Amino acid sequence: LNAAPERAPRQRVRFLPNPAPRGGGAVELVAASVPVLADHPLVRGPRFRKLKIGAGHRLDVKASGVFVLGIGHGNKLLSDLYNCHLTKVYTVGGLFGKATDDFSDTGNLIEKTTFDHITREKLERILAVIQGTNQKALLMYSNIDMKTQEAYELAVKGLLRPMGKSPPIITAIRCLQFALPEFQLEIHCLHETQQYLRKVVHEIGLELKSSAVCTQVRRTRDGVFTVDDALPRTQWNLQSIQEAIRNCQLKVETELEKTLA
Amino acid sequence: RGFCVPAGPPSTRQLREADEAAPVFQYAGKAAGRKDRVFVWGFSYSGALGIPSFVKPDAGWKKPRRIQPTPYRLETEDKISSAACGYGFTLLASNTRDITKVWGMGLNKDSQLGFQRSRRDQTKGYEYVLEPSPIPLPLEKPQQTRVLQVSCGRAHSLVLTDSEGVFTMGNNSYGQCGRKVVEDEIYSGSHLIHQLKEFDSRVVQVVCGQDHSLFRTKKGSVYACGWGADGQTGLGHYNITSVPTKLHGDIAGVNIIQVSSYGDCCLAVSDEGDVFGWGNSEYLQLASVTETTQVNVPRHLPFRIGKVKEAACGGTGNIVLTEEGNVFVWGYGILGKGPNLIETAEPEMIPPSLFGWSDFSPDTRVAHVRCGLSQFAALTNRGELFVWGKNLRGCLGTGRMEDQYFPWRVTVPGEVVDVACGVDHMVSMVRSFT
Repeated sequence: LNAAPERAPRQRVRFLPNPAPRGGGAVELVAASVPVLADHPLVRGPRFRKLKIGAGHRLDVKASGVFVLGIGHGNKLLSDLYNCHLTKVYTVGGLFGKATDDFSDTGNLIEKTTFDHITREKLERILAVIQGTNQKALLMYSNIDMKTQEAYELAVKGLLRPMGKSPPIITAIRCLQFALPEFQLEIHCLHETQQYLRKVVHEIGLELKSSAVCTQVRRTRDGVFTVDDALPRTQWNLQSIQEAIRNCQLKVETELEKTLA
Repeated sequence: RGFCVPAGPPSTRQLREADEAAPVFQYAGKAAGRKDRVFVWGFSYSGALGIPSFVKPDAGWKKPRRIQPTPYRLETEDKISSAACGYGFTLLASNTRDITKVWGMGLNKDSQLGFQRSRRDQTKGYEYVLEPSPIPLPLEKPQQTRVLQVSCGRAHSLVLTDSEGVFTMGNNSYGQCGRKVVEDEIYSGSHLIHQLKEFDSRVVQVVCGQDHSLFRTKKGSVYACGWGADGQTGLGHYNITSVPTKLHGDIAGVNIIQVSSYGDCCLAVSDEGDVFGWGNSEYLQLASVTETTQVNVPRHLPFRIGKVKEAACGGTGNIVLTEEGNVFVWGYGILGKGPNLIETAEPEMIPPSLFGWSDFSPDTRVAHVRCGLSQFAALTNRGELFVWGKNLRGCLGTGRMEDQYFPWRVTVPGEVVDVACGVDHMVSMVRSFT
């Protein structure tokens, strides 16, 4: 980063004495714009010695996916993005038939159950119920008086969202793949932790009169940042990072304006 | 000396062996079916919820529960196929061929639940029935006839059977039971259950208004009897009728597929999707065709909202469901479009996004609509129940006591198949998920 071409040094207007053509006498002052000596690279040293990097929403050790970072002045945007309370999308993989203590497949086994009575239809019914109860929680925690006309209008447009602290809420959930004993869900949620998603998988197993563990949690979208914008491990170099920042800048600005206006 | 080996972290092989050795539990077999349940909620002091411990608690220190704000399971032995809520009482009916087909609970001051013999005094009957008690119907073939539907009004009830016509019981001061009005008749503790059989064809739907009764026959004609001061009998006059008489007016010759009423206004839907209304119009229910406040002849309501599939009438507001799955409301009161919409004469649509429709689930639509006196209920095809309206004594089932100005989902542990709305309580028939 320090090898990149540097900013031009600041210019300052100084009044320099102009050597008078006739020696002696009044010294005239001429205004000239000269570079400030304090900005000289040899005086100042390398531009960047430390970089401040802030992290967006937390991601577990066992989970994977999009992770938003802010660099330098971007850290201020991070807190604004947090206050926007945008939804995150996860792809959660599960396995029927086992129950463990930490709800994932690497924990201590507690119980094994049969699962051949489970059909895709039953799973979708349970998912519809989860969505319905979370829809209610969404309206309740959005802290708007239900009796007003604006509450009705926001509810119609679907913009009613908790804009403060709230327990985890799932706004949408659907089944992507179903092949006994494995299944995959897509979950849109707010204010959640990955362990909460694993707990949801465990509870789905209990509702279906069996048990389930979570095998995979992958975040595919965090607010405006999707998997396409995210840089994989092979691309963690300066050019890609700068390009990615430039691409996302516009999106972030429009989103912040829209929500915090 | 090498006999003991310290235990380290379990190796993969040990883990796999432990995993395979673990016992497998079976909670539900492959043929486990879905169970049918009944949930009730609302005002309980009249006994209409059918749970005696709400009114008379089983322990001395417990207090009676006046209102049940969230759905509570009512244990029944048989599968209930039809339910109806009246003004402080409930009727449950099952499709079986057993001898007891109908149960009733709640107010019985006008014998609207038949004669319930009191255990303390064998000559008198109970005035409040706290538990679902069987109603003895005078059937000719009790082990063959099936009860199709029940309906309840303010103080009378109708039971529809498949081969023996309609049975009516309860208050008859306006002829709503279909028999001649007897002056100074004492209705409480009465054994009289009247049977109605003279219609042009088999009766397929019975509906009770507040003090009148409507019968719809297979041929598509509508009969009415009872109080007519608001024109709700639709027979062209404002007097009471004590014999079911056929309606004419705009519905003469039209094949009606559904009739609905709960207060003093009535709606009928034809097979072509047209809506006809008659009765009370003080709350702008029929103001789209007439300025008078009482309409005593069925009039066609020229709404351009599409083909109507189902209609429901409340005390002051009406609701219809079209073929596309859109819900329209009009009338007076809390109509479901926020606190600003109090009254309208033309139908207004409620946006489907309030019923769970979104980009993720575009095929969620409303399947049925029902009306209580000042509440509305809508059932979606996913088995979710949405309610809105005046929350009289907790009848909406939301868990809160405030009025609800837009559709709100009721949390019921199961897929709601049907719901019956009353004045201050509701009954729902639910199938469990797995």
